[in-house]
Amino acid sequence: MVDASQHELVPDHVLLEDSEIDSVLEEYGLSRTDLPKIKRNDPALPDDATPGDVIKIVRDSRTTDTATSYRLVIE
Amino acid sequence: MTDYSHVTDDIEAIVEDTELPRRLKDRVYDTIEDREGVTTEQADEIARAVESQYVDTRVDPLEPVGTVSAQSIGEPGTQMTMNTFHYAGVAEIDVTQGLPRLIELVDARKTPDTPMMTVYLEDEYAEDREKAHEVVWALEATKILALGDVSTNVADMLVRIDLNEETLLERWPTVDSAELVAQEIAETIDDKLGVSTRQQGMAIEFGPNEPSYRELLQLVEQLRDIVFKGIEEISRVVIRKEETDAGEEFVLYTEGSAFGDVLDIEGVDATRSTCNNIHEIREELGIEAAREAIINETVDTLREQGLDDVNIRHLMLVADIMTNEGTIESIGRHGISGSKDSVLARAAFEVTVNHLLDAAIHGQSDDLDGIIENVIAGKPIALGTGDVKLRMGSIDSTPADD
Repeated sequence: MVDASQHELVPDHVLLEDSEIDSVLEEYGLSRTDLPKIKRNDPALPDDATPGDVIKIVRDSRTTDTATSYRLVIE
Repeated sequence: MTDYSHVTDDIEAIVEDTELPRRLKDRVYDTIEDREGVTTEQADEIARAVESQYVDTRVDPLEPVGTVSAQSIGEPGTQMTMNTFHYAGVAEIDVTQGLPRLIELVDARKTPDTPMMTVYLEDEYAEDREKAHEVVWALEATKILALGDVSTNVADMLVRIDLNEETLLERWPTVDSAELVAQEIAETIDDKLGVSTRQQGMAIEFGPNEPSYRELLQLVEQLRDIVFKGIEEISRVVIRKEETDAGEEFVLYTEGSAFGDVLDIEGVDATRSTCNNIHEIREELGIEAAREAIINETVDTLREQGLDDVNIRHLMLVADIMTNEGTIESIGRHGISGSKDSVLARAAFEVTVNHLLDAAIHGQSDDLDGIIENVIAGKPIALGTGDVKLRMGSIDSTPADD
C-alpha cells in the first residue's frame, strides 16, 4: 500500500492534544461537531487517530503562505 | 534582510508590522528592491497604501460569500463551450472539457466521462525511454489482437493464434524468450476460457470441448476481451518527454484510470501521479487531497476556456463545501442543497412538491433560521446589515462643545 501522506496533494495531518483542541474551539467559538469532518478510514490520517479526535491540517495555501484547518475524525 | 540589498532593517520593520500576509509582504519587498533607493519614509507610505488596499478588499463580516461565489462561477459558466470533446493539447488524448466537465465536477459523478491519469515516473524510469516503456506495458491493457493474428478453422473446430514474436519481446521486456511468454499466454487462455490449449512456438490452438459452431464463435469473442498484461481499465497510454527544472523526464498519460492499482506499480512516482477522478483520489489519498484535486480540476477547466479571471477563492469555497463531511458531496438536490435542515429552503431549490409532501408526511417543522426560509416568509434575513441589531434613533441633541 502506498503511503498517502507522501503525495504532493496531501497536506500535513497532525493529531491535536486535548488542550490544543480546547483553545482552537474557543478561538473560533465552535463546538467539536461544527468542525469539518474526516472519515476514520481516510488514508491520510495518522495511524493512531480515533473518532472524536481533532486533526490539524496545514495546507500550502494558494492565497497566503500556509492555511491551517481542522477536521473532526468521525466513523 | 539577506536576499535584498535595498531593503534596510527599518523598512523591514515597517513592512513586517503591517497586517499583510507573507505573500504580499514579499511582493512589497520585491517592489522596493526593483525601484532601488526607496527611502524609509517612502517605504512606509508604500506599505501603508498596500495595507489599506488589502484591508479594503477583505470580506466583511456577514457577507454572503456563497452567493457571490455562485454568481462568480455561474456567469463565466454561461460563456463556456457546450461541446464535450476536444483534443486536450497534451498527448492527443480526448478529455471532456468546458461546461460538461464543470458540471461533472460539481455533481461529483462517480466516474468522469473521460477518465485519465497523469503518471509520473521515478528516477531511471523517467530518464530512460526503454525503462519508461516497461511501465507503459505494465499499464496498458494488452489484448490478443495486439499480440498476433486470430483465425478460426471451422472445419476442424479450432481457433488458431499466431503470435508475433517481436511484439511479445517488446511487451514483456523482462522475459528472455518469446516462447516463455507464449506459454504464459496459453495458460491464461486455459484459465479464462476453460479450454485446453496446445502451444507450439508462436502458435496456440484450441477448440470448444464439444464440437459446436456457436461455442467456437463465442470462444473467439471471449478471447478478444482477455487482458494478458496491464490494467483492464486503461485502454491507451501516451508517453511524452517533458521539460523540468532539472532537465527532461518521461511522463505517461493514460486513457482510462485505475489510480490505486497504478500507484503500486514499480517505477511509478506515487508522490506526484494524479488522475481526474476525484473519487479515486479521495479513496487513495484522502479527503484533503480530493479538496485540492477539485480546486485544480475546476481551475484548469475554467482556464482552458479562457476564464482564468475567476478568483480562486470561489473555487476553494466550492471545494471546501463539497468535502466538508469527509466524503465528496455534490452540489445540488442530491447533495448539499438536498441536505439542508430547512424544509422551505429545500423546497425552494428543486422538486418543490416532493419536499413539501415529505415534510408533511413526517410532520417536520421549519425554524426559519436560514436565509431562504426568511425570504419566503417575508422576514428580515440574517445577512449583512440584516443580522446586526442596530437601531437608528434620535441622538441626544445637545450640541457638541466645539
